[in-house]
Amino acid sequence: MAHNDNDSHRTAGQEFELLVSRYYSTLYQFALSLARNEDEACDLTQQTFYAWARKGHQLRNRAKAKTWLFTTLYHEFLEKKRRQTRFPHYELSAVDQELPNVSPATVNQLDSNTVLQSMAQLEEIFQAPLALFYLEDHSYKEIADILGVPLGTVKSRISRGIAQLEQILTRGNLAANTPKTEPHG
Amino acid sequence: MDSRQAKEILMRSRPETTDAADAEFVEALEQARRDPELGRWFAQHRVFQNTIRDRLRQLPVPPGLKERILAGSSPVEITVWWRRPAFAALAATAAIVSLAAVVFFRPQPTEDRSFAAFRNRMVRSAQRGYAMDMATTNLSEIRAFLGAHKGHADYVLPARLERLPGDGCAVLRWHDRKISMVCFDLGGHDDLYLFVTDRSDFPGAPSTREPQFTRIEKLTAASWSAGGKAYVLAGPGDEQFLRGYLAPP
Repeated sequence: MAHNDNDSHRTAGQEFELLVSRYYSTLYQFALSLARNEDEACDLTQQTFYAWARKGHQLRNRAKAKTWLFTTLYHEFLEKKRRQTRFPHYELSAVDQELPNVSPATVNQLDSNTVLQSMAQLEEIFQAPLALFYLEDHSYKEIADILGVPLGTVKSRISRGIAQLEQILTRGNLAANTPKTEPHG
Repeated sequence: MDSRQAKEILMRSRPETTDAADAEFVEALEQARRDPELGRWFAQHRVFQNTIRDRLRQLPVPPGLKERILAGSSPVEITVWWRRPAFAALAATAAIVSLAAVVFFRPQPTEDRSFAAFRNRMVRSAQRGYAMDMATTNLSEIRAFLGAHKGHADYVLPARLERLPGDGCAVLRWHDRKISMVCFDLGGHDDLYLFVTDRSDFPGAPSTREPQFTRIEKLTAASWSAGGKAYVLAGPGDEQFLRGYLAPP
């Protein structure tokens, strides 16, 4: 559901509380999908709102607050990883058309932890776009703005990322259901 | 559109969102109706998509996190000072006095419009609160925005600045001259501020690419000229720190 963060009648304190209420859960979940560590995810979420408290007033278009928060969190994450170079823009080939669906049985068994662990096994360039894609229903344009990559790259990474996620879940399910054979002798 | 193209589009679709109104998605969906195999795959894929989305949104959030955030940060309150009642009364008095002064003394304009005055004003504004017209990390978008809003967009960035993420930009005015402001994110909570204007507009602007440094309150500013533009880069740290962003690659 879309929120209107653009209300000039609120004080900065009221606006801050509103933004925290609306987005702290999703920001935490986004942070967790990136960092895979609860403490680090909490830190990232808090740092993001700290940055808003300090610099948010500079944003003239208040409707962009959501994008600003997710962008800031993503940058905080990158900084924590001390990655000075930008992500390379890989040219990705088309989605593998032969991919099978993840079976309904597997889908039914999925819990949040399994999904998070499977996301963690994705190639790194797919993790942030997919997390933003599923959480908060960001548009492709918003995701491109947050990650600072072209729109076409975002679409490509999401398609490839979903395909890879299906592969990981299918493989994990096969591994879990395949009986281990005892060594002979 | 064939089934292969349709599948790639449907792969990333979120049926219950605004994606459903997207023209390419509508076309892909039409193809899924024509191709039973693709249709079956898509029906199953929708279940998968919804499940992943639901499971991610069910990730538990630590109790007390919201309270910790609210307790740990107080937003900067920007008071619109000219709307304060006390100021309004003062302003009315001042206006009457000023009018009288104008009528009786007719002073000549003496306001300093030199490059130094411009530089000081910009750098001080950066420290006291300003508003960006656009917030984005993408430097190409910043340049495009400035160009579209008749700001200076033909600036040349030193190589190290080109590699920084942006923070946003604004088109400012000072004595009827347009100034482009580009903010760069240094990480943490620090920014670099670049002000670009026409060199010919400002007497006393540096005449070469060799930067001149000065300290203005808590920021250090470097000024230089190139290609008819005058640049002011302001940021935390000392001269050496700023030189690091101006040095050739």
